[in-house]
Amino acid sequence: MSAPLSRCQTDIAPAVNRRGGGRSLARKTADSVGHAVADVLQNEELAARPGLLQRLDPRVKLLTLLLFAVTASLVHAVWTLVALIGLTMILAAASLVGVASFARKVWLSAGLFALLVALPSALDVFTPGPAAVTLGPVSLTEPGLMGVATLVTRVVAAAGFALLVVWTMRWTDLLRALSSLRLPDVVVATLAMTQKQILTLLRTVEQIHLARESRTLTRGTTRENRAWVTERMAFVMRKSMKTADDVYDAMLARGFTGAMPSLVTLRMRPRDWVWAAASVALCATVIAADRVVGP
Amino acid sequence: MRGTDFTLNGVGHEYRAGATALAAIDLSIGCGQHVAIVGANGSGKSTLLKMLDGLVFPTAGEIVAFGAPLTEAALEDPVFRRDFRARVGFVFQEADVQLFCPDVLDELAFGPLQLGLPEDEVRRRVHEVAGHLRIEKLLDRAPYSLSGGEKKRVAMASVVTMQPHVLLLDEPTSALDPRSQVWLLDVLADWKREGRTVVMATHDLSAAAESADRIVVLSEDHTLVADGTPDEVLAQRELLLSVNLIHEHTHRHASTAHRHAHAHGPGADPDEAHGHQRERGRD
Repeated sequence: MSAPLSRCQTDIAPAVNRRGGGRSLARKTADSVGHAVADVLQNEELAARPGLLQRLDPRVKLLTLLLFAVTASLVHAVWTLVALIGLTMILAAASLVGVASFARKVWLSAGLFALLVALPSALDVFTPGPAAVTLGPVSLTEPGLMGVATLVTRVVAAAGFALLVVWTMRWTDLLRALSSLRLPDVVVATLAMTQKQILTLLRTVEQIHLARESRTLTRGTTRENRAWVTERMAFVMRKSMKTADDVYDAMLARGFTGAMPSLVTLRMRPRDWVWAAASVALCATVIAADRVVGP
Repeated sequence: MRGTDFTLNGVGHEYRAGATALAAIDLSIGCGQHVAIVGANGSGKSTLLKMLDGLVFPTAGEIVAFGAPLTEAALEDPVFRRDFRARVGFVFQEADVQLFCPDVLDELAFGPLQLGLPEDEVRRRVHEVAGHLRIEKLLDRAPYSLSGGEKKRVAMASVVTMQPHVLLLDEPTSALDPRSQVWLLDVLADWKREGRTVVMATHDLSAAAESADRIVVLSEDHTLVADGTPDEVLAQRELLLSVNLIHEHTHRHASTAHRHAHAHGPGADPDEAHGHQRERGRD
């Protein structure tokens, strides 16, 4: 069958900046999903780097970083919390995960969110005291701002330790650590499958949106987009439920008895003991110092 | 004569909504046979495989596996279940479904550990199979980070470590590149030499012809319509046309038009199986 020559020979009109351009909902969603998948894969790459925390036993790393996060919630002085934030930065640098991107991630997500939530509490309406900043009829008080600073630094310090767990530990090691810390098999298995399922479904969602983008000539109304997204959400949910049934069948087919045993045995080495002891001593020192310099 | 692994007597299956998945299937699968179940999409191939693996149960008729009735109640008996699962392995069509462990090492160890084998033996099997299927370098990787072909290999390896006597393969050549398809055919040939029984569902007639010593055809109305050697079954052109496994296709070379049966599927070459008609001067 011959192609219509008139179309083949006609040049396409070059793109110009017309009104109504810009990225469509489908494109934006597909890009966001793509970034989410890329983030997960990047975490695996960070966790494989030969840094300080990556060399530790997953159980020791999980427990000690959790201990630091708990310490951040127990201390009260802003300067103590700032010191803990400094410690997260040092650990990030020693673990080769990129201090700038680490700080950006912690401050722009946890820090900014905590600030937005806590800032209204500094108004004189809620926290009386000497005014630090006057905003027309209301003002932000000194004790109020100190409370906000304490909360934000505490959240940033705790989030920093949590992010270090995620960035320096492979997902598989985290699951093994949780399993060896006596978390029930069914919980560990559910976590393992949940992450895989989310990644699989994210790829499906990305393809759904790209398929729409490739067949869409206009951006559509908000109502149309909303209806389409709702219908696709239902589709992904149905697919998710079917996949869950299939995965269970696959487990049964390989003799699943309810347990999730692993061939990998975690063993403590001398450096793990040293790190654990140093972390406990440091946390005790930080709490004691906070009693001295704290409010 | 060697024994029989599976016997299906008048087996049928209906979904809850009343739709028929399989109807009146009489089939016997001998020990060490390589059987290809072919049929169009939706003909019931996958359901039949799941029935052979005790994941779906007949709503009519009965299945006998290794001389014992294969029923839901029988699989609730731990001894029978362990024995049956140790003998029968199932490689699903979608590898993503089958890979549910945190990494490939645990994936390969999952089945043998479920069977209660000692860790040393499991470790030995895992490394032996990984070497044989050339996936040693993937052992510490997370399954979701693998390519489609790698996932398929790992999915097969995760079943082979259980050393099953019967392997059920659902569309084994789907999502495989040509090199991986050749690799798969080599693996199937190895299993044949080892005396394992293989039952594979496929609509890839080329793979069926190359690896199976028996082909069973399911029609679009979910019944068994042919059962024989590859030469016998693939010679029945009208039958294959009627069950939607091949279709007639016309194309031109200069002034000559060919009209011949055409099959779909990776590496399909229906001309070898069915011959073709040449109609000179047909436009």
